Amino acid sequence: MNGRWLLKRIGMSLLVVWTTITLTFALIRLMPGSPISRMRAELYQQYGATMSQEQIDRQVRLYLNVQPDQPLWQQYFNYMFDTFQGDLGHSYIQGVEVTVILADVLPWTVFLLSIAIMFQYTIGILLGASMAYAEGTRFDFASTSVSTFLVSVPFYVFAFLLIFFFVFQWNLFPQGGKYATGLEAGSLAFYRSVLYHATLPIVSLIVTGFGGIALSMRANSIQTLGSDYIRGARLRGLSNFRISYRYVARNAILPLYTGLLIQIGFLFGGAVILEQIFSYRGIGYVLLDATLFRDYPLMMGTFLVITIAVVIGVFVADLTYGKLDPRIQTGDNS
Amino acid sequence: MSQQVVAQENILELRDVTVSFGMNRGVSKVLDDVSIDIHRGEILGVVGESGSGKSMLASAILDAVVDPGTVDGEISYRTDSGETVDILNLEEEELRQLRWEEIAMVFQGAMSFFNPTMKIRGHFLETLKAHDQDVEDGMEHARELLTDLHLEPDRIFDTFPHELSGGMKQRALIALSLILEPNVLVMDEPTAALDLLMQRSILTLLDDLQEKYDLTIVFITHDLPLVKDLCDRIAVMYAFDVMEVFPAGDLSNSTHPYTRSLLNAVPNLTTSLDELRSIEGSAPDPVDIPSGCSYHPRCPLSTPECEQEDPALEEIGPDQEVACWHHEKVDEELPLALETSDGVSAEVYEGNQSDEPVVSMDDVEVHFESDDGGFLSLFDDPEVVRAVDGVDLEIYENDVVAIVGESGCGKTTFGKTAVGLQEPTGGSVQYRGQDIWETKAGRGNGDRSYAEIRRALQIIHQDPGSSLNPNRKISATLQVPMKSWQSDLDVEDRKARLLAMLESAGMSPPEDYADRYPHQLSGGEKQRVALIRALLMNPDLILADEAVSALDVSMRVDMMDLMLTLQDLFDTSYLFISHNLTNARYLAGRAGGRIAVMYLGEIIEIGPAEEIVQNPQHPYTQALHWSTTDLDSTDETESPISDIDVPDPIDPPSGCRFHPRCPEAREVCASEKPSLESETDHCTACFREYPEDHPYWDSEPLDQETVGVTVEGESS
Repeated sequence: MNGRWLLKRIGMSLLVVWTTITLTFALIRLMPGSPISRMRAELYQQYGATMSQEQIDRQVRLYLNVQPDQPLWQQYFNYMFDTFQGDLGHSYIQGVEVTVILADVLPWTVFLLSIAIMFQYTIGILLGASMAYAEGTRFDFASTSVSTFLVSVPFYVFAFLLIFFFVFQWNLFPQGGKYATGLEAGSLAFYRSVLYHATLPIVSLIVTGFGGIALSMRANSIQTLGSDYIRGARLRGLSNFRISYRYVARNAILPLYTGLLIQIGFLFGGAVILEQIFSYRGIGYVLLDATLFRDYPLMMGTFLVITIAVVIGVFVADLTYGKLDPRIQTGDNS
Repeated sequence: MSQQVVAQENILELRDVTVSFGMNRGVSKVLDDVSIDIHRGEILGVVGESGSGKSMLASAILDAVVDPGTVDGEISYRTDSGETVDILNLEEEELRQLRWEEIAMVFQGAMSFFNPTMKIRGHFLETLKAHDQDVEDGMEHARELLTDLHLEPDRIFDTFPHELSGGMKQRALIALSLILEPNVLVMDEPTAALDLLMQRSILTLLDDLQEKYDLTIVFITHDLPLVKDLCDRIAVMYAFDVMEVFPAGDLSNSTHPYTRSLLNAVPNLTTSLDELRSIEGSAPDPVDIPSGCSYHPRCPLSTPECEQEDPALEEIGPDQEVACWHHEKVDEELPLALETSDGVSAEVYEGNQSDEPVVSMDDVEVHFESDDGGFLSLFDDPEVVRAVDGVDLEIYENDVVAIVGESGCGKTTFGKTAVGLQEPTGGSVQYRGQDIWETKAGRGNGDRSYAEIRRALQIIHQDPGSSLNPNRKISATLQVPMKSWQSDLDVEDRKARLLAMLESAGMSPPEDYADRYPHQLSGGEKQRVALIRALLMNPDLILADEAVSALDVSMRVDMMDLMLTLQDLFDTSYLFISHNLTNARYLAGRAGGRIAVMYLGEIIEIGPAEEIVQNPQHPYTQALHWSTTDLDSTDETESPISDIDVPDPIDPPSGCRFHPRCPEAREVCASEKPSLESETDHCTACFREYPEDHPYWDSEPLDQETVGVTVEGESS
């Protein structure tokens, strides 16, 4: 790994994060009817008689991490300074620090998404590869049709169907929540309850997600199967297992890797709807709540976390892509 | 060479082998009743043009024809112990063992033969394991093979395929094919994608390998002269069948009209330029092979007998068979062109070049920074590729200058700089005394606009398929230059003009061609359209970048003839870029032009075409000359270079850039750089051209291991 390349790459990631913070700042400070004036008005209405203008400003500063009486550049500077210190302000609905709320909900979303992505890719890759091997057969035709159909169904439509049948009709799964109340955190029953509650949201993501992966895996594999090195490997008498594993799968998976990253960002966005449907209090749920209640500090915090998650995902992928595909240089050879 | 093989035992016998594909249009026979014997220990050259079925022959020998093709007939292989194996009727497991252990194959295009995500070592290891061989012994053998092929085993093992140059990859592939010590090696165009010098080097190594490991080699190629020295016998294929087999020692042994015509169509370094003739017509469609002798529609000797009955291969001498009713008349009717010339005194064509240069380049440099230089790239110096490094050249009116060099020597970059498509990072490029890039920047001192200069300098690309817009008809494509530069012409005038041009380019009926889309044209026809399009701009100079390399061998002379005819009509000059000395000789020679030899960004020798070809002075030019075999040379010369691979252009050698590969290099060559100066018009940048008092002559020879001895006829 070449140090210069790494520095460059980290620099680019920081640039993206910085841009996001700046945009969020511009959002809060410059939009008409901003939370600042809104909060000022609210405070003035409630405590106008008892609080001085200065006190109101201090209250606003405490909540929003900005000082309304300072010039814009100074506010920006302070906000950046606080953010990079990890101070994202207070949620003004719940009155709790934003970082505390995020630390509470983020693991749940990550848990949902990582399991869903893992299953999506495992099923997609295996199915796609077998479709490619059986190219032109009835199995291939049927799987292609099913995959195409499933990939065109939006996950929230499927989620509603799941809730309708599994919750209301057959009463097999709980309608919402993250775990049953009254269980001791860390106990076996607690974990079982967590999995039980997460099943429906995860299933809705997997079922509507693996189709696209299977279809691109099928196309990649068919292309790989037609290449000269597969022909050469057969002539050299390699076993079918080795050819399918070391030659076909290894090369057909490469293009999917980039898709995986885009998927992470996309799923975080999708989590907003998904968690709302299943009343699952993760980061998406909090984001929607914050938006509805105009809880701008919390909103900005969640935006920031999602951005950082995507940036880190892309960064990790960039670092590892060179290991996967030697033709892509990630500064391995200087 | 191994003509001394006494036991003429056949290791492979093919009987009535047919490969057919069912297609919508009917059954396509891509191999039609081929019967041929392959002797143990021989090198058999199988020669044919593209689409003659020669690759199918290779696949059939390993019973590896791709689905849905089917192979019929009989292929028997005789093992070392004398058992006969019927290849087409083997069980899957037996076939798996036969392949690579007994018969191995080297494909065309080694680029795609290796798994891109696996190191070279892995390819060797898995092959050994798949055949239950002792891995340690096998890898030891692999090391030996790689060393034999002038590769460093430890370095090669640890690289991924894409990190190797084309020539290295091809050699690694040859080593891989020999890892299980097979008896037969089938090679399908193993060198076609490589530079000539690399091709020749590989052939030399192959000759050694064949002797060392006692191999039988079936070498499939489109290039007959290339393999003539290597092979013992040559089989010529045309229209999916073998036309004749003859001993390779002497090409005048060939007795089939097709072989003769093919040989007479290929430019070489000695044949008089007037003797070359291309073959009329085109090869037949595999669905619709002509009745009787499949060559009769194109054969000058054909008679009604040929149209009715297909001649079978008949034995007419030792190791010699031919399928032609008229093979006795061939010597008389179709003499081999190379026999009629004495090989030395080729006539010199007078060009009618002007005195004033059209384009002159002065100390031109093009350096590329290999790093994209983005964010945070200020920390260290980016690597610089010196694609062109200090070149002077003047091109006159009606001139032809051919630039010859290996791939990666900077010849294309240089050509683009000459026609103002690439801005030089140093030096100047002038069109009729006016600096092109100054004019573009608006600081010009001349009275021509940049657009005028742009019009005067045109380009034809290597791949005709991708240089024409696939969605426009030929007539539309060809009208564009006239619309922009001759706005006084109306639709009718333009039509008439382009039809006349098509006609003069030999594409008749022109109305028919004008109405076609590019995909409805053959490669040669597309390239003609590209040439016409460039000429319609009425340019002073056309850069023809490998303009004939993508065409079939028999089409190349045709295309170059057309370029010369049109040069007379349009008063244009050509800057012809080629990796092939013979094509350069043909085009430049016939116009009285010059050949410039480029090596790692520098011109190292330049002079009149015939001068360069007949009397090359620079050791590198001599090596290029060696790589293009003289058809009638009988002496066995070995590679005149010490190192097969070209050095890295990012870090070119000090002093004379050729010194690490030069057999004549002495100590002074590593520190000082010879200049390209001479009183005559033949200039060479080599100390060997310097007078006796130059330090070179007292300098110690560099201690290098050479691939072979120097080419004959070189005296100091």
